Amino acid sequence: MPMIEVRNLRKSFGVLDVLKGVSFEVEKGEVVVVLGPSGSGKSTMLRCINHLEDYESGEILVDGAVIGYSTDDQCRRVARPEAVNAKLREQVGMVFQSFNLFPHRTVIENVMMGPVHVQGVGRGEARELARVLLSKVGLASKAEEYPSKLSGGQQQRVAIARALAMNPKVMLFDEVTSALDPELVAEVLRVIRQLALDGMTMIIVTHEIHFARDVGDRIIFMDGGVIVEQGTPSQILANPSAERLKLFLRRYQGDYLAA
Amino acid sequence: MFNVLIASLPYLLKGAQVTLWLSLVVVSLGTLLGIGLGILAAIGNIFLRTLITTYIFALRGVPVLIVMFLGYYACPALGFRVNAYIAVGAAQIIYIGAFVAEIMRSAIASVPPGQVAAARSLGMRRFTVLRQVVLPQAARIAVPPILNNSLTAIKQTSYASIVGVWELTYAAREIVERTLAAFQIFLGVMAIYFLICYPLSLAARWSERHLLVNH
Repeated sequence: MPMIEVRNLRKSFGVLDVLKGVSFEVEKGEVVVVLGPSGSGKSTMLRCINHLEDYESGEILVDGAVIGYSTDDQCRRVARPEAVNAKLREQVGMVFQSFNLFPHRTVIENVMMGPVHVQGVGRGEARELARVLLSKVGLASKAEEYPSKLSGGQQQRVAIARALAMNPKVMLFDEVTSALDPELVAEVLRVIRQLALDGMTMIIVTHEIHFARDVGDRIIFMDGGVIVEQGTPSQILANPSAERLKLFLRRYQGDYLAA
Repeated sequence: MFNVLIASLPYLLKGAQVTLWLSLVVVSLGTLLGIGLGILAAIGNIFLRTLITTYIFALRGVPVLIVMFLGYYACPALGFRVNAYIAVGAAQIIYIGAFVAEIMRSAIASVPPGQVAAARSLGMRRFTVLRQVVLPQAARIAVPPILNNSLTAIKQTSYASIVGVWELTYAAREIVERTLAAFQIFLGVMAIYFLICYPLSLAARWSERHLLVNH
């Protein structure tokens, strides 16, 4: 059974169709990288998997459980209660482009938030766990600082530790290096690469094509709300068949070489 | 020249005591009401939001004195008698509530949506998101303007004298009528109001400097 199953996902904002029937699967331990131009629906798709966004039709299963909706005995679509969705969300960690650390809490408290306030873990135990995770992302020494004292790269690594504290089955990364200065990108990618080596199931939305090749088991290329092409990095990046993908790669690899 | 002020000081201080109590009651109850309504306006359903927004806009558009008049004269007109303190106090509480509700509502609205998304992605329930993430950040934004609003509210208790509530301003007018020393007495009254408000001014300043630091 795949860890994530997305079937014919459709989503629109008013008259704008953002996702026009997206289907794919992610196996346990697989790292799927999603590429695509801005506005292609990548981020929206990630937010649907975590049910931070409603979606109009289709189905999303995480570890066999349907996210967001259930079907009643007359085959109608019923929104699940918020408590059920929150429960499902615990299993899916998410890291955002803009870090979104809680500015009123110290670094270690940020990491403790999930275990303490969602899982009901005792503060002492949560603190121990947070220490381990902060060491893992190389920030044990910053535990008592407030997020505003940290660089963007450090904040993003804390955000990863915060998500890992929930012991999720899946991690979603939403352009997590896009807001970072170029010299800070590597430290964040290093942490994600380590997670991949540890066998974490991940969906990574990114513009870092070299990183995609490096860490991805599979690449999905999205444009205009649909999956245009998917395959292994060597297939996708070396022999792109779709014209839109060729264009995209030329532009981003061009940027990369220029930089 | 200021002998008359010194002589009437005990009487003025008794009035100041009433002003202090009146302020304490209307400001604390009005602020509590406003905080509650502001939170409901930010998270409630469309019906609640519309109701509270209407209340906020209605009260913001009228002078507090008119609300007091309404409270004081409407009750007898409607056939029941109410103590002047209660009528005026209730009018002020409702008035302060509207301002604080708007401060609170906009403070909650100014917490970035990414904060809520991050909290929800950890699996937090709605109430936990509000309690642990949104309100602590909104409070830091709301405290300085709420304290400033309290200052205004304290000074507005002086309007109560117009409908016959005995407090500092009323006491002062009594003395002025007897002694005709308007200048000395009102100067003294100004000083007393200032002394009541000054600690709060300092608190507002302090909160601005310490709470709004982004950490």
